[in-house]
Amino acid sequence: MAEPTSTRLARLLAMVAYLAERDDVPVAELAEHFGVPQAQIMKDVDTLWVSGTPGYQPDDLLDFSADSYDAQRITLTNARGMDRPLRLGPGEAVALIVALRALANLPGMGADPAVASALAKLTAAAGDAAQAADAVALERADAVDAPLEDHLARVLAVARAALAARERVHLRYTAASDATTERDVDPLELLSDGESWFLRGWCLLADGVRHFRLDRVGEITRTGVAAAAHEVAPGTGRVRPESGALSARLALTPRSRWVAERFGGEVVAEDDARIVVALDVADEAWLARLVLDLGPDVLGLEPADVAAAIAGRASAALTAYPLTADEEVG
Amino acid sequence: MSTTVTPAERLLDLVIALTHTEHRMTKADVRRHVNGYSHAGNDDAFERMFERDKVTLRELGIPLVTLTDDAHGDDIGYRIDLDGYDLPHVDLTPAEIGVLSVAAQVWDGEHLDLPARRALTKLRAVSPAASGELSGHVLRIPPPSATFDPLLSAIADRAVVTFTYRAATSRAASQRRVEPWRLVVRDGAWYVLGHDLVRDAERLFRLTRITGAVRVGAAGSAVHPRSAATDEGAASVDGASGTTSTARVAVRPERAAQVRLRATSVTTGDGRWAGWDLLALPVGDVEDLAGLLAGHTDAVVVLDPPHLRDAVVSRLRAAAALAGPEAPRG
Repeated sequence: MAEPTSTRLARLLAMVAYLAERDDVPVAELAEHFGVPQAQIMKDVDTLWVSGTPGYQPDDLLDFSADSYDAQRITLTNARGMDRPLRLGPGEAVALIVALRALANLPGMGADPAVASALAKLTAAAGDAAQAADAVALERADAVDAPLEDHLARVLAVARAALAARERVHLRYTAASDATTERDVDPLELLSDGESWFLRGWCLLADGVRHFRLDRVGEITRTGVAAAAHEVAPGTGRVRPESGALSARLALTPRSRWVAERFGGEVVAEDDARIVVALDVADEAWLARLVLDLGPDVLGLEPADVAAAIAGRASAALTAYPLTADEEVG
Repeated sequence: MSTTVTPAERLLDLVIALTHTEHRMTKADVRRHVNGYSHAGNDDAFERMFERDKVTLRELGIPLVTLTDDAHGDDIGYRIDLDGYDLPHVDLTPAEIGVLSVAAQVWDGEHLDLPARRALTKLRAVSPAASGELSGHVLRIPPPSATFDPLLSAIADRAVVTFTYRAATSRAASQRRVEPWRLVVRDGAWYVLGHDLVRDAERLFRLTRITGAVRVGAAGSAVHPRSAATDEGAASVDGASGTTSTARVAVRPERAAQVRLRATSVTTGDGRWAGWDLLALPVGDVEDLAGLLAGHTDAVVVLDPPHLRDAVVSRLRAAAALAGPEAPRG
């Protein structure tokens, strides 16, 4: 996809301000700093070199050192007064401030001192443009579940450190089936859907890529062993099963349409009373957890043998509860 | 000059021209003198190009001012106001720019992603290279939900919104008309805070319980001011109990590790619960906790409070009924 005009214009102006403060900057360093390929940096410099005030005679143009340029290093020799860093637009300030607040609000992130100081400096630098971000408040109200918050912060800190060090971790993990296993995982990335955290990694036990929900990680330790290189597709940023091993059909109340949206299913039939969602799920245990969570919103389930198995487990669980008064009468 | 001037190159020359002009430039001046505009073709094509470019400059936060000149009648002139051009002084550490680099990449979807990345580019103009624990790995946060963008613009425009909401405690989904004030994150979940026009009261609505599209009304249609109490987090979550309490649950030994992580205390049961563990759990959202507990079927029994027990039992009963003859159609 071609780069949007506003994205490139912002970078062209930023590069002039950056280069005005430094001499002889390697192209590779500029590429790293501005997050674009080196070839793009060269194109940008070529563009800047022929830009200037109307007339566009040599004295009107931005100028660079040709000797440096030939050595893949950039020295700006005449900024034509364009060395001023440009302020943030209102939409830009909101998008970055809210992103940073969302990051700070995730369990385990708020404690990072660089997050808090970056937010304070960004808000100050945005000036008036920061006001629109006030529409988004992130309350760090006292966490209702303090033990879980503390646990997540610990798990997240270890996972982040292991990722940065490219190190294998050892997990005690409780799957949806409630079976707890010990496994070694090479971390690939940390993901959050804004509510839960997931570690995506190569699981040596499963011999494949898996997502691990951090609130099901009982223990995580660094092994000191370097993570192996694995040929895996880049992450999609979505928290979804790597492969749908089981195809299910759920008849749901119409208000449960979000199930299709959230888990990548498809609404294959609907009327006023129900919708039918086709959904590929990781395994039967995961499906059972979803069905039990949705409760009365599930009107029917296929495959029938899976439905019977879940119903059997639910019936067994109900024996622990006394019958209610109207059932005793009935 | 080259005959193929890209939009970014044209805009760069426009910025340089309008910052250097002695007084102002009219549209005719721009067309005649600024590199890239002479290729526009006919008058209509030039007008469209110039209008689009003005929008881009304003998106970028470039202070474009219009000036009329008595000597030239109605002819509007343009200039970039250098007083409002500069980014205020900001001194970011390598760790802070590392944090901002991660934040700028969290958004899925162009609406927030592009402005966030432009903001980062502008900050990089005056910042050292990034470093820090975060810079080595990927964190991605999909937007809280598809409802986020329309709600944010509705708040900015003071517009009434309508949406379908499935409350946690009531069975039926219902239509809500709300004057939105703020987007709020509380306990890891996103809410919109606003004035519910049907109930004439302040409410928080959880974004994941809004089903379907959010319809945004006319700008300025919202009239209720935000109260001081609201700022202190006094509004209750629509459909939730609103109070925090502690639940007691019995858990089979070695089971339900995910539930155990949330416990504030664990004791050994006796009598009917001999051999089981008794857990104290903080209750935030009753329905969320009931979904988790029901998912553990016979490994967990809720003892208290009654409304949590009822919420779990109703889920188990619904799942137990799935063995019946009713199967999904379609």
